[in-house]
Amino acid sequence: MTFRSLLVKTAGVLLALTTAAAAQQYPTKPIRLIIPFPPGGSNDVVGRLIATQLSERLGQQIVVDNRSGAGGVVGTELASHAPKDGYTLLVISIAHAVNPWLYDLKGRYDPLKSFTPVAILASGPNVMVVNPGVQAKTVKELIALAKKSPGKVGWASAGVGSFQHLGGALFELQAGVKFLHVPFKGGGPAMIDVVAGHNQVMFSSLVQTTPQIQSGKLRPLGVGGKKRSAILPDVPTIAEAGVPDYEATNWWGIVAPAGVPQAVVDRLRKEIAAVQTAKPVLDAFAREGADIVQMTQPEFAAYMASEMAKWGKVVKASGMKVQ
Amino acid sequence: MDLFNNLIFGFSEALSLQNLLYCFIGVLVGTLIGVLPGIGPLGTIAILLPITYGVPPVAAMIMLAGIYYGAQYGGSTTAILVNLPGETSAVVTCIDGHQMAQQGRAGPALAIAAIGSFFAGTVGTLLIALFGPPLADVALKFGAPEYFSLMLMGLVAAAVLAQGDMVKSIAMVVMGLLLGIIGTDVNSGVQRFSFGFFELTDGIGFIVVAVGVFAIGEIVSNLGEAQERRVLANKVSHLFPTLQDLKKSWGPILRGTGIGCFFGVLPGTGPSIASFSSYMLEKKVAKNPDEFGRGAIQGVAGPEAANNADAQCKFIPMLTLGLPASGVMALMLGALTIQGIQPGPQVMTQKPELFWGLIASMWIGNLLLVVLNLPLIGLWVKLLQVPYRLLFPAIMAFSAIGVFSVNNSAFEIHLTALFGVLGFIWMRLGFPLAPMLLGFVLGPMMEEYLRRAMLMSGGDPSVFITRPISLAFIIATILILVVMVAPSVRKQREAFTD
Repeated sequence: MTFRSLLVKTAGVLLALTTAAAAQQYPTKPIRLIIPFPPGGSNDVVGRLIATQLSERLGQQIVVDNRSGAGGVVGTELASHAPKDGYTLLVISIAHAVNPWLYDLKGRYDPLKSFTPVAILASGPNVMVVNPGVQAKTVKELIALAKKSPGKVGWASAGVGSFQHLGGALFELQAGVKFLHVPFKGGGPAMIDVVAGHNQVMFSSLVQTTPQIQSGKLRPLGVGGKKRSAILPDVPTIAEAGVPDYEATNWWGIVAPAGVPQAVVDRLRKEIAAVQTAKPVLDAFAREGADIVQMTQPEFAAYMASEMAKWGKVVKASGMKVQ
Repeated sequence: MDLFNNLIFGFSEALSLQNLLYCFIGVLVGTLIGVLPGIGPLGTIAILLPITYGVPPVAAMIMLAGIYYGAQYGGSTTAILVNLPGETSAVVTCIDGHQMAQQGRAGPALAIAAIGSFFAGTVGTLLIALFGPPLADVALKFGAPEYFSLMLMGLVAAAVLAQGDMVKSIAMVVMGLLLGIIGTDVNSGVQRFSFGFFELTDGIGFIVVAVGVFAIGEIVSNLGEAQERRVLANKVSHLFPTLQDLKKSWGPILRGTGIGCFFGVLPGTGPSIASFSSYMLEKKVAKNPDEFGRGAIQGVAGPEAANNADAQCKFIPMLTLGLPASGVMALMLGALTIQGIQPGPQVMTQKPELFWGLIASMWIGNLLLVVLNLPLIGLWVKLLQVPYRLLFPAIMAFSAIGVFSVNNSAFEIHLTALFGVLGFIWMRLGFPLAPMLLGFVLGPMMEEYLRRAMLMSGGDPSVFITRPISLAFIIATILILVVMVAPSVRKQREAFTD
């Protein structure tokens, strides 16, 4: 062994030791959690809930940083350029898998390669609801109604490219129907219009719709999850009710800029797993109509890729993106 | 009497020591964030939401509601004192409120804003208690065509806003419409005039434009001619409104309250439309419309009342139907869900202490705001005596903090600076700023409703006259046009016969 190679090897070992030590001490300063949406949305609710619990377990403050814009692209791009030391994390959702099909991200970031998946947190299905004045009582009856008068049944959504739009577009594709798509600026105004009867149908997130379902102002036809929801046990899944492969579920997870030390990821995964099963978090998610989801890192990465592929097809087939 | 019993029950609930304390905290925090531009109730409530988990539901809702209407209150303070609209709805208050301050009448302006807001808040609270549920049902009759016709009426009436040069005013309305177009088209998702900036895909924020043209623009133009104005600002005649002021103001406050309640009940109208409408109406009915824009107290009293009534009535769809009219209301609904309460019509019967307690607390909160604000007026007015060399940098700093806090975006600070330069140029050339902001607010909403109405009717424009509510607004619009055009036609004819 030459002196030179000895030097290189020693340096390598020393470096490995120091980074391992750094990772063991992680975190030694506050962590910044970027939420690429404004306060109040589902990403924000999930992100803040996890941030509060996680900071207690890590013994460091987690600073929530809302960076909204362009459906999450602005905040996500910001996170992709952050130092890969584990002190910048990003909350993502289904939008992360859809944005590459809606926006030109060339030269900005790659939704899969620019990030290291840390952990998926939870998922929540959509629910298909109609105004109670609509004749159809089941999914099949609504399909029949829409087939009788194509492009006439008014379908309100929270905006082009939103989760509500995706859920409806997937339904159109799989059920072979055509609604009249009426986009709004956000889910609140869209729901007011369906409750008022100006539009007939919407594919809204379960949690935001449950109060209206329970007070009888909206009639549920089916939930978009793989299985029925504990909140609405009498409502069939859309797949059961006549559109076999239908599944539209929003999900939330945490990623870090690509290249973050594995020891940091492991520490975060351990604490997040503990947080996910803590009672306050379980209760909060149950109330939000969401289920805790746990995956290994490769599983999460594969899931993101499959979601990208799935919604990419829907975006293309529905002509959601206008050139 | 049911209502009487219910209100007594509500007050007994709201006056418990704990609830009173949370009400006070809410309005205090609300006032503070209202004073700063940018930091609005939406962000504040989102940040404070986790704190409310451990608080009983009634107290939590009382506090969050207090933040919301406290912010509407605080927004007028900086608008009057330093031409900085603390909240979206305070832009109109800048026009005459700041002029009053420059004439040494900041005290009366602040006091009349507080009194007007209190009166409007009282009426708004009563309205929710008396007619909440039926009003919410009426509001649901408003679809896209109705909203479009309503806003058309508003835009036509806006011509009254014109000060002096009609052509310049129209040019500024169009400028506002053009600025409002920037961003993502709601119907198709196409980017318009965003020039590849992702920061522009959601449009330009109202706070960015308003703070830029009003606060920054004002500072820049003052720097050019500061000397004489500083002397004016130091002459404070009296702190409280004179009898003359009150006489002038009670009419605008009454009308403003009516306008505010009307727009407040309709969930599809944004903030600031109520205050703009009130301002336009007051200018139209005033004996000396020339005073407007030069420190007319009516131009403060009416819009401030309208703004507070609007904020109060925005609770109607949320409380009675569980439907969110705005982001803030969606968050409040979220807070209820977290407390394990399903929002909706059943809240009134199943949780009467929440419904009536919250309503009673709103009135108490409004009272607290007056008590909080009136003694502060003397202090605020002293702020005007701070030399400009200290005041200006402070305003710039607070503007920057406020604008940044909306989206944590430095890009928006740069945009604000750009609008500061534009505001200066417009001011120098005598272009009025208010019509531009009106176009900026109304334009995108009108476009959205027009295109949604056409989309839903399959391109048939007759929806606007076959639906009765919409038809009524169209007829009213035509009447306004006739009333406005008639005098000038008569004048021309007289000139011709002469």
